[in-house]
Amino acid sequence: MKNLQLLIALILGLTAYPALAKEKLTVLTAFHEEVVSRFETAFEQQNPDIDLQILWRMPHDAQPYLSQPQQGGVDVYWSAAQQNFNVLKQQGAWQKLGIDRSGLADRLGAMPLSDPEGTFCVSEMAGYGFAVNPAYLQKHGLPLPKTWLDLADARYQGHLALPVPSKVGFAPMMIDSVLRQYGWEQGWAVLAGIAANARLVESGATFITDIIGSGERGIGPAIDFFTASAIANGAPLQFVYPEPTAYSPAHVAITAASQHTEAARRFVSFVLSDSGQKILFHPDIRKLPARPGVYKDKPDGYFDPFAASAEHPVVYDPNGAIQRLALNNALFDRLFSDHLQRLQNLWLGLRKQEQHADAAKAARLLKLRQLLTAPPIAAAKAQEPELQKLFARRANDTQAEAEAKSLEQAWAKDIEQRYAEAEKLLLELER
Amino acid sequence: MNARLPHLLLSLSCCLAGPPLAQAETGFEIADASREAYSRIHPDLPKAKSDEVFRGRSLFRQSWVIPPAKDIEIAGLGPLYNQISCLSCHPKNGRGQPPESPQQAMRSMLIRLSLPGEDEHGGPLPHPVYGGQLNEQGIPGVPGEGRVSVDYREETIKLADGESVKLRKPVYAFVDPQYGKLPADILYSPRVGPSVFGLGLLEAIDEQTIRRLAEDGKRQGLQGHPNLVWDAERQRSIIGRFGLKANVASLKQQIAGAFIGDMGITSSLHRQENCGAAQTACKQAPSARQPELSDAQLDAVLLYLRLLQVPARRNSDESNVSQGEKLFTEIGCGTCHTPTLITGDFPELPILSKQTIHPYTDLLVHDMGEGLADGRPDFQAGGKEWRTPPLWGIGLVERINEHSYFLHDGRARNLAEAVLWHGGEALPSKQRFADLPAGKRQSLIRFLESL
Repeated sequence: MKNLQLLIALILGLTAYPALAKEKLTVLTAFHEEVVSRFETAFEQQNPDIDLQILWRMPHDAQPYLSQPQQGGVDVYWSAAQQNFNVLKQQGAWQKLGIDRSGLADRLGAMPLSDPEGTFCVSEMAGYGFAVNPAYLQKHGLPLPKTWLDLADARYQGHLALPVPSKVGFAPMMIDSVLRQYGWEQGWAVLAGIAANARLVESGATFITDIIGSGERGIGPAIDFFTASAIANGAPLQFVYPEPTAYSPAHVAITAASQHTEAARRFVSFVLSDSGQKILFHPDIRKLPARPGVYKDKPDGYFDPFAASAEHPVVYDPNGAIQRLALNNALFDRLFSDHLQRLQNLWLGLRKQEQHADAAKAARLLKLRQLLTAPPIAAAKAQEPELQKLFARRANDTQAEAEAKSLEQAWAKDIEQRYAEAEKLLLELER
Repeated sequence: MNARLPHLLLSLSCCLAGPPLAQAETGFEIADASREAYSRIHPDLPKAKSDEVFRGRSLFRQSWVIPPAKDIEIAGLGPLYNQISCLSCHPKNGRGQPPESPQQAMRSMLIRLSLPGEDEHGGPLPHPVYGGQLNEQGIPGVPGEGRVSVDYREETIKLADGESVKLRKPVYAFVDPQYGKLPADILYSPRVGPSVFGLGLLEAIDEQTIRRLAEDGKRQGLQGHPNLVWDAERQRSIIGRFGLKANVASLKQQIAGAFIGDMGITSSLHRQENCGAAQTACKQAPSARQPELSDAQLDAVLLYLRLLQVPARRNSDESNVSQGEKLFTEIGCGTCHTPTLITGDFPELPILSKQTIHPYTDLLVHDMGEGLADGRPDFQAGGKEWRTPPLWGIGLVERINEHSYFLHDGRARNLAEAVLWHGGEALPSKQRFADLPAGKRQSLIRFLESL
């Protein structure tokens, strides 16, 4: 009898409640669940009349999705995928944001924070730097690195973990920022020195923080929020922002096809609001707000890019670099991933010789260093739009893939000859 | 990578300032009270296993995408679903929470559905259209099935020492059902996503142990019993131990069930998309590869969950904690919340065998009284019966999940309320708790917080 009463009570409960009509708003993103769920909950509390649906897609898959008719039903695109925002803007995929932008910055050093035509703007940023295990550094008597060039120092040999840009999502722009900061030729030389010191990390399943936190290696170039979040959750790590720091910006835009423009504007405004931006401070997120004013409430030790840029102005603008990321990735693999052990043996030999260098050896050592550091194509060639496009297209275009492969084979042959020559030269020096 | 490296790798952030000290670690217990304490993987793994376990971790954290998609290995969300990742309902491998207001959506909670009667194997009879679970979300072009809003009614109870406690009872309402009105006799059961660590250990407890616990309970006047459920892989009934009613036979089936039920992702155990009769758009929606979750992916998630460690107790030498521990036994809580068990042989993953563990569960289903009843039988678990939930790690919920909502539907706002909701077989223990002076009640709560 009691069961029956319970059932009746529950059924009454089910049928008695009035329906609440909600407007559905679809947001496409590639942010992690920790980020999305907190924004979802907070937005919903302030906007109970909007039913937020999250769709998730990696950047390379989001662009075709948003290019389909009606843009796949998406109202808002919110992601760290600058290329998509630019390419889709050319296709007329966005409408003007039409939101109050007061309190939002337009630039961070060389990096523009919003589309000048007002179709998308930065929602948050992440900085590139070094995840560091202080106990490891102390144990091995290593100084804290401050710049990318520091990481190429012989003292760090065997102590680094470096993500492979063709395999780890955040790494291409990070690698490109080194090439921009030091210039094409010297940038590859710096990267070669870093690769000589590093274990290469390919798997996205193994986090850099795992490797550095475990003490398997002491320093890992990485994007900041993984490490900052691990630190906030108790990991005995440190994150070093190099001087200057490069950033990966995330953006937000409203689709041209949106049938829910006002709701979309409310979402975008919320993401960019004080309360939305402060969600980024959460220990499980730890991204860098795009609204300078909220840093006055930042947790202790939180990095402030706006303050840091006053001391070391930001010099990297990802806008100009995106087209060549695929080309960089291919060069990185042909130069380093394909020959890591060989490369490291050669660097070991080079550094030994350099320690005991005399004037008679200087020219040959310089030659040896050049053989190990020169990229197979010159800066001007790498800037050719057609070449960049060829590599950018290779994933979706068999013809482009064949041409890219053919070029890679030529590079591989060149690199092989150089390494062979370097080995011969090293033998001579060692005699 | 050497054999001990994964240990270092996976426990990297266990040492931190702030949280109370934990006991030394043994076996699967790890001395970690940080916000990562539910996410530690057993250290002693060969390299091949550690690669697989990392893949499992990634898949557990993965947000899935709707097909068609370039990333075919993570495609298959929907057509109907509740959430887009495992992590959504099990944040940081811990507990989800209920909505706080009728307007809020269920983000880490869901509603099971069935009609009166049984399916061919004695399980719940799914609704012909809505199936066995309300999927609030649909991919674009496929309407979600509707929404359930939760409101609460408070009632005040008085404890023996005069203290009053407000308990809140949830009231559920189906809103905007998209595929026709639900029948008046629909049975439904709300479920908050439970913690997922230590599940490998629960799986490794042998059936004899569970049966013995039932016999021991009977001698003490309890009616707790194993829930015999259909094991689709073995094609026979066995003791269920997963799910809030012990209604799932194995961890693999629990995982595959959650993939199809919560995310609409097919696997070799659930080859059909979760579209009911008359859900035309759902049936016409594109699928990813079939099955959408490969066996290798399912095995990786299974391995990850089997190898998650359990936080060791903290502060057990504090006097009020040890007093609380004594009271826990004296008032009878420990009869169902069995503190210590030893796992049996587990040839599939020998590292789980013969482990002395402290789960504080007997894996039996018990009558918990009218107050907690959902009125929805599930195999041999009746409408008032629930599986004794493990209590290990419960004291870290607030730190890790940033809330303190407990019980199957999250109605209890703290541990004391959770105890005071106990009824049925647990009524005498609840009454003894309510009769304790405030200081002793607090000691018992402090003990629970030490778990």
